[in-house]
Amino acid sequence: MTAVVALPSARRPLTAWRWVATRLAGAVFVLWAVATLTFFSIRLIPGDPAEAILGGPGSRATPEALAQVREQYGFNQPLFVQYLNEIGRLARGDFGTSYALKAPVTTVILEGAGNTLILAAVSLAVAWLIAIGLAVWATRGGRVSRAIATGLEIVSAAVPNFWLATIFILIFSIGLHWLPPVSAPGIPGLVLPVLTLAIPLAGFLGQVMRESLLNALDAPFTLSARARGESETGVTLKHALRHAALPGISLSGWAFGSLISGAVVVETVFARPGLGRSLLNAVLIRDIPVVIGVVMVVALVYIVVTLLTDLADRIADPRLRNP
Amino acid sequence: MARKSLPIAAVAVSALLLLSACASDPSGSASASATPKPGGTLTYATGDDEPPCLDPQNRGNVPQALLASQYLEELFYQDADGNIDPWLAKSYTVAPDGLSVDIVVADNVTFSDGTPLDANAVKVNIERVLDPATQSTTGRLALAKVTGVDVIDPTTARINLSQPDSALLESLSQVWLPIESPTALARPLADNCLSPVGTGPFTVQSWVKQDSVTLVKNPDYTTPPPGAAHTGAAYLDTIVWKFIPDATARFAALQSGQVDVIDTLQPENAVAAQSDPSLAVQIASRPGDPVAIELNSGRAPFNDEKVREAFIDSADVDSALQSVYLGTVERAKSVLSSSTRYSVDNANYSYDPDKANQLLDEAGWTTKNSDGIRTKDGTPLTVVIPIAATVPLAQAVYEQIQATAKTVGFDVQLQPKDTAAWWTQNYNWDYDAIGIYYTKNSADVLRITYDSAGNNAATVGAYHSNNTHLADPTFDSLVEQAAATTDDVTRADLYKQAQQIIVDGYYTLPIYDQQTRLGLRSDVEGFRFLPSLSMPTFYDTWLNR
Repeated sequence: MTAVVALPSARRPLTAWRWVATRLAGAVFVLWAVATLTFFSIRLIPGDPAEAILGGPGSRATPEALAQVREQYGFNQPLFVQYLNEIGRLARGDFGTSYALKAPVTTVILEGAGNTLILAAVSLAVAWLIAIGLAVWATRGGRVSRAIATGLEIVSAAVPNFWLATIFILIFSIGLHWLPPVSAPGIPGLVLPVLTLAIPLAGFLGQVMRESLLNALDAPFTLSARARGESETGVTLKHALRHAALPGISLSGWAFGSLISGAVVVETVFARPGLGRSLLNAVLIRDIPVVIGVVMVVALVYIVVTLLTDLADRIADPRLRNP
Repeated sequence: MARKSLPIAAVAVSALLLLSACASDPSGSASASATPKPGGTLTYATGDDEPPCLDPQNRGNVPQALLASQYLEELFYQDADGNIDPWLAKSYTVAPDGLSVDIVVADNVTFSDGTPLDANAVKVNIERVLDPATQSTTGRLALAKVTGVDVIDPTTARINLSQPDSALLESLSQVWLPIESPTALARPLADNCLSPVGTGPFTVQSWVKQDSVTLVKNPDYTTPPPGAAHTGAAYLDTIVWKFIPDATARFAALQSGQVDVIDTLQPENAVAAQSDPSLAVQIASRPGDPVAIELNSGRAPFNDEKVREAFIDSADVDSALQSVYLGTVERAKSVLSSSTRYSVDNANYSYDPDKANQLLDEAGWTTKNSDGIRTKDGTPLTVVIPIAATVPLAQAVYEQIQATAKTVGFDVQLQPKDTAAWWTQNYNWDYDAIGIYYTKNSADVLRITYDSAGNNAATVGAYHSNNTHLADPTFDSLVEQAAATTDDVTRADLYKQAQQIIVDGYYTLPIYDQQTRLGLRSDVEGFRFLPSLSMPTFYDTWLNR
């Protein structure tokens, strides 16, 4: 850490390969830490995977089957040995096999990742559209529209996903018959899940953007743009919005993470296959390989998104670019 | 026996109206209503867990049974009165000493992969369940007395027993002990989990994890169970079995016609469906132990019979059921579910707080702390109950019991847990009471869940199948004798005595019979339950659309 954070006077532009190497080493460290934390947190909370795997609704395990499962998955070994085995496997790029699904974790992740990433990406885009719309409306409109937009932002940022999902089903599926209540192929099946994820997020993004949009509209550079004869719409879209988007872009990394955690709820309610649902089911029965696999993929996505937001910041904000 | 179904007058009436409307339909499609129409896809949405394996010989729980009943079949068929009829077995002979049973398989039956059904297939299946590597739970517990299988001739298999077992034929008519193709069973366990091969009316085509299992019609089907409405192949071409865990979404999917059948129908949805002419409700009671709150007599305070009785007297179950389940479930009055043969309605517990107070005084819980909780030698009268979604008993029911028990001085501590933590707390005996059920189509379930052999803590993780810690030699002897006799009257009497011991000792508080609760589109015709475990079958089902 100290090597990177040097005094400004001593700062030299990092060469490209050093930048890549630092980032890569950081990523590997984060993934190892994530795997380790996940392993110990799931093994140290109460709950024996063998009992959970065998004890289904309406039945009981048998001592023989418990012994067999413990032997098969190595639960009878000391915890630290189990940890080393797990990390060793991961280091070789082997995510292992799901206890419950009896399928390779890689397969489980590949089947679910596409669905979840599409859901999260579309939700993020929709959240941005709503947030920009609200922020522009709030700053361009009068006192009333500002009050309404602010209220909408606060309410939407505060509603929990699971509540919103149920309300949407009651209104749009049962009441109006517009949209299918559970996952269906194509766009209609995506609408309710996306709105459920996007609306609370739009509330957050909108609040952040409105503040900086107001600041930007009062800033000297907007004044000079107006002085050059730019229309008010042009000022907002070309200059102020670009400035106001910065904190929002920085937040998108965090937002993407929150979307993945929101996917746990949304995928379960709308019965969509995906990583969130895999994770929930796996945690409930302590299906450790799946939990670690999904969490590592999410961490990886997080790392990549953070990298992308860094880059997006540099593009949106010329001050961050190297001379 | 006490099969409960709620055919709704409104649906019947509207069906009649529909019929007459069709009759006057100028397009002339009237005749279609009466005769089953083959073809089409039925979508079933389950709220139960996704099975860990589609082969119920591995594990052995209710979600597997619901699904496997469509593609796997058993040697015997148990009718609604508990009688055993032949199915994949043609006949059976119990040896005079009761220590073996000869089973003759039905003629000319082939599995859907073309493998013929013979005595060796019976041997392979039963021995596979007994093999610990198969990790069978329910099936293995049911076959505890089986020592092995001999092939006597190509069509006769002899099942050898360590003790006489009158429940054996009942066990062999439950879907956790199906007869699968030996060719398919030769594959690794994980492969067989994906596509088990049996003799059923449907076969497994594909399984998209966390989404759905697709079943297709078995065109060469020859073994309809007794009570089926037709012979030959099933009417439906395809069944899509979707996993929709959220109750609101599941019912909305049924209402919108996105799915045709849903299970784990919630009480409020059952009420709504009853007033909707496009929907129908089918509820059947499952055999075995009902959903009950079992009291741990192995530690204080419930090691004292008076305290157990006081707790049961203090629980206002009727009011809780009425307000939470809206009259869609009946209170269980027996230790065995009402649909289990030899079940006796002797658990007539009623809400009696005065008696509860009196019993607690007698038991020495005479002082109260500032919260109104009774104490004895400074120890508060605490009842720890871990609860999990695995057991279909609404938290609101526990909360109402908690409230009424508090008025007599019990401090009921509800501890919501996730699945894994709940099993661990259960197996560690770290509870005073626990809500649980067990599905089994035989009174022999008493041996699994109340015999003293089922409460030993010697195994790793203190595994136990007896949650009450009942350890009564008289009881053990009764269920052992009952298992050893095939005489119906004697068996009934022995099981009656055994149930009386549990009721008189206040070991369990039965709440309601576990149920298969289905909501159907009303154009789903020809539906019925297989009586042995009250599992749905879609063999006779067709879509009237």
